[in-house]
Amino acid sequence: MSSHREAPEISRDPVADNTDVYAFVSPDKPDTVTILSNFIPLEDPPGGPNFFEFGHDVLYSIYIDNDGDGVPEIAYKFTFESRVRNPNTFLYNTGPITSLEDPNWNKRQFYSVTHVEGADTTAYGTGNGNGLKARVLGRDLASPPCNIGPRSTPNYATLAQAAVHELPTGEKVFAGQRNDGFLVDLGAVFDLGDLRPFQNLHLIPSAAAPGVDALKTLNIHTIALQIPISRLTANGSRPTRQRDPNAVIGVWSAASRRRVRITNGRGEEHAESGPWVQVSRLGNPLFNEVIVPLGAKDRWNALYPVNDNAFLPRVQHPELGALLPVLYPHVFPKLAGIKAARADLVAILLTGIPPGLIPEFQNYTGPVLADQLRLNVAIPPSSKPSTLGLLGGDRAGFPNGRRVIDDVVSIELRAIAGATYPLVDKGYKPDAAAGLLTEGLAATTDRYLSTFPYLGTPRDGFDTPSS
Amino acid sequence: MGESESGSREVSRRSFIKASAATATGAAIVGAPAAIALERSSAKSPPPAVVSKPSGPLPSEPLVAYVRDAKRGEVTVVKGTTETTYRDPVLVERLVNTAGLEGGN
Repeated sequence: MSSHREAPEISRDPVADNTDVYAFVSPDKPDTVTILSNFIPLEDPPGGPNFFEFGHDVLYSIYIDNDGDGVPEIAYKFTFESRVRNPNTFLYNTGPITSLEDPNWNKRQFYSVTHVEGADTTAYGTGNGNGLKARVLGRDLASPPCNIGPRSTPNYATLAQAAVHELPTGEKVFAGQRNDGFLVDLGAVFDLGDLRPFQNLHLIPSAAAPGVDALKTLNIHTIALQIPISRLTANGSRPTRQRDPNAVIGVWSAASRRRVRITNGRGEEHAESGPWVQVSRLGNPLFNEVIVPLGAKDRWNALYPVNDNAFLPRVQHPELGALLPVLYPHVFPKLAGIKAARADLVAILLTGIPPGLIPEFQNYTGPVLADQLRLNVAIPPSSKPSTLGLLGGDRAGFPNGRRVIDDVVSIELRAIAGATYPLVDKGYKPDAAAGLLTEGLAATTDRYLSTFPYLGTPRDGFDTPSS
Repeated sequence: MGESESGSREVSRRSFIKASAATATGAAIVGAPAAIALERSSAKSPPPAVVSKPSGPLPSEPLVAYVRDAKRGEVTVVKGTTETTYRDPVLVERLVNTAGLEGGN
């Protein structure tokens, strides 16, 4: 969750495992959009001596579709290189790391950012990408080290901030370790769909209890971009009207590996060849995790969003929608009575919400069914954000893009439980529980930052876990 | 064996001959019908591969060819960031035989 280890193949390849994507109008810089894409799930902070790093044999991509065709018109592509200063020590660092150039830091990573422009029709199975315009925006950009402990990384927040780079075309970029900001009670939700605050109503009941923030002490690796809105829209404008035809962009990200890998077996690095092959992707949280069945998850990861029509029946009749009335007997009788296709979920996850359903809101991109975060960039950041996003009356939150604070598990649980079904069936009155579902979690104040890159300082390995 | 299969076999033989000539001049693509069955060509075969010890480390971006479908004579060649699948029954036959399949070397 939201896409941590969600499919069989990618669960064996953590550095390529895309776990969360966020896209939102930057609250402190509203003429920009911030996109965050996370990889390497469940990093245990003391995991040395080879601390976590991006795959130097993985291509990381962030995609933007600005005309609703399900195909990216803009991509930012990231490749990483690892460098070891001294191969004759086992240490990640030989003293305190006080700057990104510190000679005490032995195993470093650098990366390149390439901007690709043009409709990538290879997603349709046509074209060869030759018409795309690629420009390298940055080379040899430093990632920060992992947060090791007070002796090794004594001023981590300052060190990480030094790894925020400005690109010549106006973007800001950061790639490195962060605290995983995704709110989820993993242990409960995978224990037969338990929600601790409501587990007294579960088929196998126990006393109600507060939720457990399972990722609070775990880290992640984040690629963060802050991009001027005018660099993202189809006509190069910064829309101010939410119904402006250029106001909605679709965002997703992916990871790819080379077709062929040959293990050397001589103590030397493996060799690779061939085209990049997509092995992981992510748009809406929980799509592959909850909507797509186990036997199709690897295929979903390999496909481009433009092919998501294949998964329409799973959105129209989600498995979890049928499970909730079974797991919580007598709690969801109205949900159990819905037999029609869930057009509300199709809108939220595959097309965006059309105008006219919610006052002063739309993030519709047209009839093409594609799993993307859809962000209406004309809607300004909220002065009083709700962690329930649109369900909490906050138009700047999920499913209008996704912010770091959005409690997407509760939002999607409520939506699947029928809370959003009245959008398409005015006569439907949801079960009382649908609007109350929650994991019972509230983020601690140190989980997020108020400025770029917004996800909080990673937990250090000396203090976490604590005894 | 039906009439159509017999016809395919004839086309297959002609393709081998044509392919052998094309390979000699460096071309690798052979136009052949879908249901080619691999069999030994009556044309003179190139000398068999010789078992050898690797001469050095792997190149960082090796050229890799793998047989995708032996019966169809399909071989995929991977180089750099591209891959192309060819219909080359002669090359496929040679690779299959070298691998010791179908009683090869």
